[in-house]
Amino acid sequence: MPPAVEAHGLVRDFKGGVRAVDGVDLAIPEGEVYGFLGPNGAGKSTTVRMLTTLLRPTGGTARVAGHDVVRDAGAVRRAIGVALQDAAIDPLMSGRELLRLQTILHGLGWATGRARASELLDRLELTGAADRRVGTYSGGMRRRLDLALALLHEPKILFLDEPTAGLDPPSRRTLWEEVRRLNREAGTTVFLTTQYLEEADQLAARVGIIDGGKIVAEGTPAALKAEVGDPTLTITVPVGDEEASRAALAGLGAAAPGGEGQVCLRLPSGAAALPAIVRALDAAGISPSGLDLAQPSLDDVFAAKTGRRLEAEDGAERSAGEPLAATP
Amino acid sequence: MILALRQTVALARRSVVNTIRLPQAWFPALFFPLVLMSIFTGSFGDAPGNLPGFPPVRGFLDFAIAGAVLQGMLIGGTTAGAAFALDIEGGFFDRLVASPASRVAILFGRLLGAVVLAMGQALLYIGIAVIFGARIENGPLGLLVVLVIAGVLAMMTGGIGIFLALRTGSAEAVQGTFPLFFILLFFSSAFFPRETMTGWFRTLADLNPISYIVEGMREQIVGGAAAGATAFALALAAALALAAVAACSWAYVRRLATA
Repeated sequence: MPPAVEAHGLVRDFKGGVRAVDGVDLAIPEGEVYGFLGPNGAGKSTTVRMLTTLLRPTGGTARVAGHDVVRDAGAVRRAIGVALQDAAIDPLMSGRELLRLQTILHGLGWATGRARASELLDRLELTGAADRRVGTYSGGMRRRLDLALALLHEPKILFLDEPTAGLDPPSRRTLWEEVRRLNREAGTTVFLTTQYLEEADQLAARVGIIDGGKIVAEGTPAALKAEVGDPTLTITVPVGDEEASRAALAGLGAAAPGGEGQVCLRLPSGAAALPAIVRALDAAGISPSGLDLAQPSLDDVFAAKTGRRLEAEDGAERSAGEPLAATP
Repeated sequence: MILALRQTVALARRSVVNTIRLPQAWFPALFFPLVLMSIFTGSFGDAPGNLPGFPPVRGFLDFAIAGAVLQGMLIGGTTAGAAFALDIEGGFFDRLVASPASRVAILFGRLLGAVVLAMGQALLYIGIAVIFGARIENGPLGLLVVLVIAGVLAMMTGGIGIFLALRTGSAEAVQGTFPLFFILLFFSSAFFPRETMTGWFRTLADLNPISYIVEGMREQIVGGAAAGATAFALALAAALALAAVAACSWAYVRRLATA
């Protein structure tokens, strides 16, 4: 059986010489939930736009559901369901009207479309709002409607571009539940992009970490974390004391990248190393305001591969919503 | 083929319904030509009798209808273009393109919507004028001809609007071209007959294709003159519409291919 999604050396250059996607290879078997994890501007959306026929690759090839995304774009479009970033839904139409339009766009029979629409509205808890204009929907309702629209023709492969960006935790969980159910019951292959570590961890059977247009790591979340290995200790110190702290702690663990006011160490011996660390800081006259020992997360994987932290980069955005648990 | 047609009609329906659902967008556009028509009629009610060179008409209102319809069509084209640009800006266009819908339907649905709206608008203007005492001299057939010219005209202005939307991808940019349409309108016989103009103004109006189109419509409303003007207007409008549709189809194919 050919992979549901397959790419070889996929490249996209934009005008002005910007290379958004730089040689991406993908092989996603049928029935897998694949998480594409990376910061803003890493090339996630550009990759999705190429795989969903919205953007032509400037190099390499990609096949979705066995069809070439350029030469056989029509067949790809019939096989996939797409929910793009920012839920581009016409605010002047009602949910039911949009589903009816989608029925016609996909050439589904009237009765089939009607039955599936009401089933989807029901399942995604939108029946009560179905005849209201989308402009009055909350962010979570829009995402759910977006998902309903993408699922109307029962696609074998579903593309979700940042499906829960900006959503509150309950809405996020509802969407996750639906994605899991689809994958479990209908065997739908799901390609999902996210900048949320927890989302990739929770949903994806396999994760590809993308940075600067390249996949820097790929594997199951467990395998990726095991690769990074050791637990990480994050010490919160007064801003300005980072260098002094690192000097004081030299030899007690392997230094890892951290944010402002943070010193991070990988500790092969785990908690056993803590007393020595506390003593060393005390001897150097540094009073830490926090010590947090964590098993490796996908963020540590990202940090190990790129030297930067995903958390720090989207911290500003997330502070407006829910602080995602970075350390389980 | 039948599916593509259904998709075109569904998308046309959406653009008509959505336009109606946003009154703040269309209300001024619908109202302005009516205001202009009533101001001119109020000021120049006697003009047909007193202005040297003014062709024989029953009243100024009858004369003014064609100008109002024309304005409506120009504004309608901008509205259709801006709405298309908003679809691009907001991502709805991507949703359509990512679906297996006919590529032709995505473009022509919007154009058809513009034509339907334009004909409705023309009918509304004529209806209001008739309530205030105007008369279509050539009767129901004349009315039909006026509506057809209006529809063809809307295809032209809609085509230009959508062309701009596809090239710029910005509703603001499309709306920015609106004054240009109006300049074209003012230097034509939309509001006053060419017979009353002199000098360079007359030359510009003579060169302006809009003059001939509005005069063709007017022919049907004020009656009299030979059918030549109407046939010429229709042919001219059709040629311009064809050019505009060709231009926006080119821009559309280009956008899809280079995206």
